[in-house]
Amino acid sequence: MLVSKIDLAKYPFTPEAIRYVEGLGLRVEDLANPDYVSILERAEQRIEEAVLSGVVRWRGTPDYEVEVLSFPASMMLVSVAKDSFLKRRYALAEARKVYSLLREEDEEKLAEVASASFGWKIRLAHTTIGRPYDFAIKFVHFLKHAPSFHDERWKLVNRAMVEGEVYLNKDELARLVEEEVRTRIERRIETSPQIELQPPLSERINRIMQLLAGRREAIRAEELPREAVSAAYPPCIKKLYDALLTKQHLSHMGRFTLTSFLLNVGIGPERLVKLYTSTTDFDERLTRYQVEHIAGKRGSRTKYTPPNCATLKTHGLCPGPDELCETIRHSLTYYRRKLWMIRRGKGTKEGG
Amino acid sequence: MGEIATEEFIRQKFAEYYSEHSQSIQPPTSIDRREFGFILFKERIMVRHKGFKDVKEMRRFIESIVPSDAYYSAAYYGRPEEEMERKGWIGADLFFDIDADHLQTPCRTEHDYWICENCRNTGRGKRPARCPNCGGERLREEAWPCEKCLEAAKTEALKLVDFLLSDFGFQERDVDVYFSGHRGYHVHVEGGEVSQLDQMARREIVDYIQGVGLKPRLHGFFKRRKLAETARPELNDPGWRGRLARGVYDFFATRQMRSSEETGEAEGLWEAVIKMGAQTFSDAMKFAVERHAVTVDTVVTTDIHRLMRLPGTLHGKTGLRVVRVPVERLGGFDPLKEAVAFRRGTLVVDVDEAYRFRLGETTFGPYQRERVELPMAAAVLLLCKRVASPSS
Repeated sequence: MLVSKIDLAKYPFTPEAIRYVEGLGLRVEDLANPDYVSILERAEQRIEEAVLSGVVRWRGTPDYEVEVLSFPASMMLVSVAKDSFLKRRYALAEARKVYSLLREEDEEKLAEVASASFGWKIRLAHTTIGRPYDFAIKFVHFLKHAPSFHDERWKLVNRAMVEGEVYLNKDELARLVEEEVRTRIERRIETSPQIELQPPLSERINRIMQLLAGRREAIRAEELPREAVSAAYPPCIKKLYDALLTKQHLSHMGRFTLTSFLLNVGIGPERLVKLYTSTTDFDERLTRYQVEHIAGKRGSRTKYTPPNCATLKTHGLCPGPDELCETIRHSLTYYRRKLWMIRRGKGTKEGG
Repeated sequence: MGEIATEEFIRQKFAEYYSEHSQSIQPPTSIDRREFGFILFKERIMVRHKGFKDVKEMRRFIESIVPSDAYYSAAYYGRPEEEMERKGWIGADLFFDIDADHLQTPCRTEHDYWICENCRNTGRGKRPARCPNCGGERLREEAWPCEKCLEAAKTEALKLVDFLLSDFGFQERDVDVYFSGHRGYHVHVEGGEVSQLDQMARREIVDYIQGVGLKPRLHGFFKRRKLAETARPELNDPGWRGRLARGVYDFFATRQMRSSEETGEAEGLWEAVIKMGAQTFSDAMKFAVERHAVTVDTVVTTDIHRLMRLPGTLHGKTGLRVVRVPVERLGGFDPLKEAVAFRRGTLVVDVDEAYRFRLGETTFGPYQRERVELPMAAAVLLLCKRVASPSS
């Protein structure tokens, strides 16, 4: 059990924390009360931190009650804002906070947070199977998020699995928890009831939206790679590219599609690594490995091309075809035709 | 006798079977949550989206329509009879389909054949683009329930069961193995959390048992790198780690390069591994993965709306039954004996051409344009395969 208030403050998504908040019986109307202004301050700050730096900061301050209560308040504000970019960015930023805190916890606490909060079957297992492991998790729970991670060490076939349990180290379990927290927060924001907010609260939302608008433009104004003509990107790639620049979460398939596309239109691996590491907190060494793998400089030495339209549709990466899309079946074909059209002055500069 | 008469005869035999043996049709668990599908004899169409509230209703229905093939959904639905979008998916059992068609058995060129739908001309091996007799393009390929193929499929099933028990930690009672009634086995895992796995998770499970995406270095196999004693893979290590170690061991054995010859006396597997050249290393890894991987139809496992053959019903291409095989008996299971449904009487048939086959203890054929009197099961098999007709 998480008994201390500091734990509730660190992990406000746990059932204990939710019960604690419910026990206080606060209503939305109460938040307008001047006594609660510190909660709202912190709630707004959480979102600000998410927008600006992509991670909610753990303050470590003693006002744990504010920390616990500001979490549902933040989610309420984000849900009222009805902006899916903000929702994703906020959920990811909260999840990242949890990840970095959990890595510092002892193993018992980490296992307890994961099993008590999500019902995952986890036990402490100090075992060596080639390398030392700290935990064993039931494979069905491992498979909840591992398939969405890009690195091949997350593939089940590359794991040590014995009698239904997958062996993990601390960092890996923290990563699985992070992903679960992220999806749970997104879902809670999506399903929270829509309410009309009165001025003191709606002003906060307006401020957040302004901050967000400024930030979005700043990110979009960033210089685009010169070699490739971004105006000729098909809608799917544009969307993925924008998502990367605005630091949205990209699925494994999304990252693979974007990376292989950009490599194929002439953006060098070096430049791509820089693009990824400057817009995300991806580990540079790992990113380099993955990019070079797709570029065919490592591993199987196959240079990958992006998946075709049908596959992208299957994986939900097609944002809906434009006119040119109707005539092609592959993103690279789109790019070549569009480029030709642009050069001949036939196409609009901003298609799709 | 013509095609239609043959089909009517088979249907008659199936009808007799179901009227006597409908009790042996095994209902799936949560029968009222499953979708059922049937292929009808005459129309050759699949009737889907059928639901039953209990086993009695299911058996009565099968007795009355006499399908050539019967299926039920691996999935559970809130409303099984609605169209797919409105069914309300609740969960699905985990299914694996092992089919000798996907295995490269050497005997296939001997017994696989094709039939021209137009002029009934037949030929061995892979089907040509056009019928050499009439030029027709509608050629149907048929595979034979051959003993060697079935043995190969059983070997795959045994390997799969090992994965399910030792790696995935299922209990024997959770795992059901069925002979499909034709050329393969279905392996079925039911229960709790497994039913909630999504397609991505099922894909990971399939990749696991097929060794797809496996990176040897993540299991401790490196080219020319010395590892600490504890980091070295051992033959009895769990999971893929141990399988790779055993596979590499076998690799040396089959290439008759015992480690002592290659690397000097008193050195073990590990020393042999780190001394391998790049090519040998990659050959050894490939060998090890192929030896232990299970070949399954990946689509069946990842499709969470799939229909599976209903246990205890007849297979329209053979007249054999879909039978359950307890895991502990799988090794000694003889499908060509235990799946025989028609055990009484004989029938005189005119055979066009038939490969040698065994049913029960008896071996039949090969036949070439001849009239023979056969035990009913053997006759029905040839009729179902459309290579014979009841003699008039």
